[in-house]
Amino acid sequence: MSYVTASGLTRQYDLSDPWFIRMITGRKANVLTAVNQVSFSIEKGTTYALVGESGSGKSTIAKMLAGVLAPSQGSVQIDGHDFNNPRLDNANKKMLRQRVQMVFQSPYASLNPRWKIGDILLEPINAFNLIEDKATRQKRVIELLEQVGMSAHDQTKYPHEFSGGQRQRISIARALACHPELIICDEPTSALDVSVQAQVLNLLKDLQQENGLTYLFISHDLAVISTMANKIGVLKDGELVEEGETSGLLANPQHAYTKMLLAAAPDIGAYIS
Amino acid sequence: MPTPLLQINQLTVTLKKRQALFKAVDNLSLTVNKGEILGLVGESGAGKSMVGSAIMGLIDKPLFISSGEIYFKQRRIDTNAQPVRGAEISMIFQDPLVSLNPLRTIGDQLLETIRTHIPLSKPKALERAKRLLKEVGIDPARINAYPHTFSGGMRQRVVIALALAPEPSLIIADEPTTALDVSVQAQILDLLKQLCKHRGTSIILITHDMGVIADTTDRVAVLYSGRLAEIGTTYDVLKNPCHPYTKGLVAATPQINGASLKDKLFQIPGSMPDLNNIPAGCAFYPRCTQAVCQCEGEQPALFDNRTACWLFDKGAKPK
Repeated sequence: MSYVTASGLTRQYDLSDPWFIRMITGRKANVLTAVNQVSFSIEKGTTYALVGESGSGKSTIAKMLAGVLAPSQGSVQIDGHDFNNPRLDNANKKMLRQRVQMVFQSPYASLNPRWKIGDILLEPINAFNLIEDKATRQKRVIELLEQVGMSAHDQTKYPHEFSGGQRQRISIARALACHPELIICDEPTSALDVSVQAQVLNLLKDLQQENGLTYLFISHDLAVISTMANKIGVLKDGELVEEGETSGLLANPQHAYTKMLLAAAPDIGAYIS
Repeated sequence: MPTPLLQINQLTVTLKKRQALFKAVDNLSLTVNKGEILGLVGESGAGKSMVGSAIMGLIDKPLFISSGEIYFKQRRIDTNAQPVRGAEISMIFQDPLVSLNPLRTIGDQLLETIRTHIPLSKPKALERAKRLLKEVGIDPARINAYPHTFSGGMRQRVVIALALAPEPSLIIADEPTTALDVSVQAQILDLLKQLCKHRGTSIILITHDMGVIADTTDRVAVLYSGRLAEIGTTYDVLKNPCHPYTKGLVAATPQINGASLKDKLFQIPGSMPDLNNIPAGCAFYPRCTQAVCQCEGEQPALFDNRTACWLFDKGAKPK
C-alpha cells in the first residue's frame, strides 16, 4: 500500500455572481475547476514531483494533501487515514497534521520576522505537546539546528539576520521539528541562487536518507526535478497529463505538453557532456 | 579589431557608510561588441545589477563611481549619461508588473517613450507603436489595453517593446525572465535573440541562471564580490571553466538527465563574503579548494584575458 494515495482529486472554486444578481441579469454560474480528477500515489521514502506552469494547480494539490483545503470531490489517503473523513476523531486528525509538514517557496515570507529562531522551532513542538521537559525541548531545538547545518547560538537570532539559504534551512528545521513522515516542498529553491540551491537540495536528500522521509516536491524547474524525484507527474490546467518514473519520462516524453516543457527548460547539459 | 560598442575601464563603485568605504564593484573592465549578447552571472550581491546601473548612470548616494571610465560609442558616459540613457541604452527590469504604470494604457506609455526620444507627430508615433507591438508578438489592436489585462509574459513583451521604442543600440536586461514560467521564459529569450540578430542590437543579460546563460549568450562574464572572476565565450567558460568559482557554479547547476538520484549536487562550501568583510587577497580564497600561496595576500590580476585566479599565474607556487 502506498503511503499517499490521491484518488480523483478535484477542487472547484465558485466565481459566480451572487444568486440574486444572477437572477436579475441572467448571467450563468461560473465555476473554475482548479484541479480536475487527479490521481496519483507516493511510495514511502520516495520523492514524487509535480511539475507544471503557474496556474496548473500544483499548489492547490499541495494544500489538499496538507489538509488545509478540502477537495470538492475525491480523497487523499495518508497512511490509510483521510483528513476529510467526517468520522476521523480529533486525536487522529492531530496525528495526521503532525505527520504532514510543509516547506514553502519564499523563506522571506514564511518565517515570522518578530520571532526568534528558537521560538519558531519550538512552536510545532509545543503545539503537539511532544516534549514535556523544558531542558529537553531546548536540546531538541539545538539538535534540529545542527541537523540542517546551523549552530546552536543561531536560536537567539531573528530571521532577518540570515541569508535566503539559511532561512530555507530554518524552514526545513521547523518542518522536521514534529517528526513528520511526509514533507510537502512547494518550490523550495526557486527564490535561491544556484550555489545555495545545491546546498538546500543536498540537505533535503540527506534528510530523506537519514529519516526515511517521503517528499511531494513541487517545482517548475525540470532540471531540479530530475535530480530529486523518483516519479514525476506533469500537470496542465489542473489535469495530470502524464506520469512516470523520472528517467523514463524525461528521456521519452509522450504528451506534447511535457515535450514543450522539456524543450523550454534551459539546460547546460549540452556544454558539459 | 573593431572598436567595441561599450567599454568599461577599471570601474569601481564605492559605498560610503558611516565614513567607511566599501567597494560594491571593484576594478571591473568589460567590453560589449555590436550585435552580441553578453551574460553577467553571479550570486545575489555579486554586483551584477550595480554594473547595469553604473552604465545607465543611475548610481546615487550613498554609492558613487570612485574610479574608472565607461565609454559608449567612444563617448564618455560615466560622468553624464543623460544623452544616451533611454535613447541609446535602454533597460528591461525583472518585474514587468512594477515597471509598467497600471493607470495608463500600454499605447499611452509607448507613445510617451517614443515621443520623448524621437520627434514624431502623434499619428506617426502611433503607427510606430503598433509596429513595435507586432514585432514583440502582441496584437496591435490591443494598444489601448491596460497592463493588468495582460499575463506576465505578455507584460514582459510590452516592456521589451518599450525598451525597443527609441531604437537603442544596447539593451540591459536585468533578470528579464526570473519572474516568468519556463515556457514563457523560452519565448522571451527567443525574442531577445531574434532582436539581436535582426536589428544588430547588443544585449547585456544579467542573470543568476547558468541554463539561461547557456541558451542565450555569446560571451559571459562571471562576477564574484564585485570583481570579475572569469570572462570568455560562453562555450569556453561552460565547457572548460578556469576559475574555481565558475567550476563550482557549473557543477552546482542541476542538469536534466544529468545525475542519478543517489548522486548529490556539487556544492560550494560557505557563502559570499559581505561587502564589509571581503578578504585581502582573492575574494574567493576562503571558499576555494585549490588555493595556492599568493591567494591569501594578493589580489589576482586577469590572466590571459580570461580569469582572475592565481592558478593561472606562471609562477604559482602550490601550498
